[in-house]
Amino acid sequence: MLTPMQIIKNKRAEAVHRIIGKGYLSTRRVYVGMATCEIAAGSKDVMQVFRQAIADGVTDVYLSQKGCAGRCNLEPTVEVIEEGKIPVKYGRVSPQRARDIVERHLKKGEVITEWMI
Amino acid sequence: MDDLKKGMEVTEAKFKLTLCDGTACIHKHSKELLLAVESELDKHGLRQAVKINLSGCLGMCKDGPILIVNPGFVMYGGVRVEDVPEIVQSHLVDNKAVTRLIISPDYLYNRFFRVFGDVDFFGRQMRICLRNCGIIDPENIDDYLALRGYEALAKALEMMTPQEVVDEVKKSGLRGRGGAGFSTGLKWEFTAKQVSDRKYVICNADEGDPGAFMDRSAIEGDPHTVLEGMIIAGYAIGASKGVVYIRAEYPLAIKRLEKAIAAAREHNLLGSGILGSNFDFDIEIRLGAGAFVCGEETALIHSIEGSRGMPRPRPPYPSVSGLFGKPTLINNVETWANIPVILLDGADWFSSIGTETSKGTKVFALAGKVHNTGLVEVPMGTTLREIIYDIGGGIPKGKMFKAVQTGGPSGGCLPEQYLDTQIDYESLAKAGSIMGSGGMIVIDEDACMVSLARFFIEFTQDESCGKCTPCREGTKRMYDILTRITEGKGRPGDIELLERLGGMIKRASLCGLGQSAPNPVLSTIKNFREEYEEHIHAKTCRAGQCTAMLSFTVNEKCIGCGACKRVCPVAAVEGARREKHRILPDKCIRCGQCYEACKFDAITRA
Repeated sequence: MLTPMQIIKNKRAEAVHRIIGKGYLSTRRVYVGMATCEIAAGSKDVMQVFRQAIADGVTDVYLSQKGCAGRCNLEPTVEVIEEGKIPVKYGRVSPQRARDIVERHLKKGEVITEWMI
Repeated sequence: MDDLKKGMEVTEAKFKLTLCDGTACIHKHSKELLLAVESELDKHGLRQAVKINLSGCLGMCKDGPILIVNPGFVMYGGVRVEDVPEIVQSHLVDNKAVTRLIISPDYLYNRFFRVFGDVDFFGRQMRICLRNCGIIDPENIDDYLALRGYEALAKALEMMTPQEVVDEVKKSGLRGRGGAGFSTGLKWEFTAKQVSDRKYVICNADEGDPGAFMDRSAIEGDPHTVLEGMIIAGYAIGASKGVVYIRAEYPLAIKRLEKAIAAAREHNLLGSGILGSNFDFDIEIRLGAGAFVCGEETALIHSIEGSRGMPRPRPPYPSVSGLFGKPTLINNVETWANIPVILLDGADWFSSIGTETSKGTKVFALAGKVHNTGLVEVPMGTTLREIIYDIGGGIPKGKMFKAVQTGGPSGGCLPEQYLDTQIDYESLAKAGSIMGSGGMIVIDEDACMVSLARFFIEFTQDESCGKCTPCREGTKRMYDILTRITEGKGRPGDIELLERLGGMIKRASLCGLGQSAPNPVLSTIKNFREEYEEHIHAKTCRAGQCTAMLSFTVNEKCIGCGACKRVCPVAAVEGARREKHRILPDKCIRCGQCYEACKFDAITRA
C-alpha cells in the first residue's frame, strides 16, 4: 500500500516522463502566451504560425502554450528557451513577426534583438 | 523605444548579476557586497560587460546575502565581501562557477527568474501566488505535477492532522486577499470547529472591480494551484464538497478550470479516497451572472443557492451558517493559491516575508498611465513608488503623476505625498485607501478627479443590489450631484452635501459594497478639494475633461479645410471652404469632436 507522498512522487515521475515524451528535451522550447488578454491581442494566430512551421518540417522544437506572465502592454509574447542561453522573450509578436522568428531565430539561430522585451 | 533600448543593453552585457536588496540581506552587508563587486569589476575592466540589478527581497533570507549570476541562473548564498574576487575571477573571467558557494534551495516560488530574462520588470517582484503563471501549460496537469504539484496535498494527507494544517495556515499570518484582509487561519479554525454533517469550501472567483484581472490570470495560468488549496482546506476543516463561484464573463478561465477538475479526478486528486487515503472531496463550478455584489460572501452564497444575489446581515458568519445553512469556508482565488506554498515551504518561511501585520505577497493589476501595465506580485511592504516607477517604469510621455487609485470602486485615490506608503492592509487604510482585491490605476495630470469619482460612483450605483435605501438612493443622488458638477452646474454646498451623503451611506449600509461605495468620492474630496471647488465656483476643469465647461473657438491657424464642420453633430460650425470657420456658441454642445478632428491646432479650447 503506497502512501499519498509515494503516490504523488510516482505521478510526478510519470508526468515528467510524458512531458519528455512530447519532446521537452528539444534544444529549443517555444512558449506562446495564451491567456484571455494574449488571445485578444492575437496570440492564437501566432500559435498557428508555429504549429504550421513544425508541420512544415522545423524540427527539434518543443511548442507549448502558457498563461499570462503579466506583461500586458507587450502582448502577445513568445518565449524561446535554448539550453545554456539567456531566455529570449519577444513582445508584440504579430503573425508576421512569428514567421520571421521561425525563419531567423529557429532556422538560423539569430536572436532578433529589436523585438526583445 | 525605451523597451527597445533596454533589450539592447541586456543582450550586450555578457553577464547579469542580481543582488538581493531585501532588509535581511542588507543586514548581512549586501550593500558592502555591491561596492565590492563594483570595484572588483572595475579592476578587471568588466564594468560594461556586466549588468548589476538589485532585486527586492527574494525570500531566501536565511541563505543571504544572495547573488545570482545569469546566464545559467547560478545562485550564490552567504556571500561575503572576501568571496567577491574569487567569484569575479573564476565565474566572470574564467567562466567557472564557484561551486562551494552555490546554493540550490528547493523553494516553490520565484522559479520565474530563470525563465524570464526580463529583470527590469521582474526584479522587484516575488511570485508565490503566480509562481507557475506564464511558465507552465495550464491545460496540462503534467506540467503542474512536474513542478511539485499536489505535493502539498500529499504532505497534508500523510504527515499532518487536520488541526496541524489549520495551525500551519494560522501561523503563516496569511490574510484574505479578497480585500478585507481577515486572518485566513482564523476563518479555517472557526469552520473546522463547527460540528455538522456537511461543510462546504468555496472559492470566490467573482472578480468585479473594473480593470482588475488578478483572479482571471491566476486561474487561466495555473488552475490546479487553486484546486489544490481548496482540497487541502476540505481536509483541514472536514468538508467533502467544494464550489468555485466564477463569473460567466470569464469563458477561458472556466474552460481551463473544467479541464483541470476533470484531470484531477482522473488522477484521483478529487473524488473518493484521494491519493489512497480515506478522504473524499469533489469540486464543482457555479457560474455567476457578473453582478458586483456577488463578490460579497453572503450574496455569493445566495446566488449559488439559486436565490437573488443579495447580502444578509452577519452574524451568523458563513463559517457557522453558510451555503444551505451549513458551515462554509470562503476564500478568494489568490488566497487559495498561497496555500500549497505555505504547506511545502513552511509557515515560518512565509511569515518571514512582508511586514509586521501583513505577510506574504500581493498581486496587483497595474493599469492606467504607466509604461509597463501588467500583473505584478510584490512582497508586502513594497512602496507604491517602487511599484509605479521601478516595476511600472513611470508615467509615459513625460507627464506628471497625479494620483494612484487602489482597491477599485471601494478604494481611494492617493496623491503624491502618499507614494512612499508601504503596501499592507493597515498602511493603505491609514493613508485613506484600501488594499482591496488588487486593482491599481495610475492617474496622470490629464485626468479630472471629479470625473473619476463620478465614474466609480456610476459603477456602484449601477451595481447596488437595492436592498438598503442609503446605498440604492444615496449613490444615485451622489451620482446626480457629481454629474451636475462636471456639467458646470455645481452649486455652493455641493461638496458638503456629498460628504454628508457619503458618511450616511457608509454608516447605514449592510454590506461592503454600500459601506465602501462613497470612498472614491470622499477620498478625492479629501485630497483634491480644490478641483471640486474650481468646478463649482470657477466653472473650470483644469484637466480639460469636463467638456461642458469649455468653450471652443476657431483661431487664425484655420485654413478652412472643413474637417470640423464635417464632424460637428449639431451643425454648429459655419464658414466657406478655404476661409476661416466659426463656431456658433449657442448651437455648440461642447462635445469636443471638432477639437479632436482639427489637424492644424486651429481650435482653441478654454
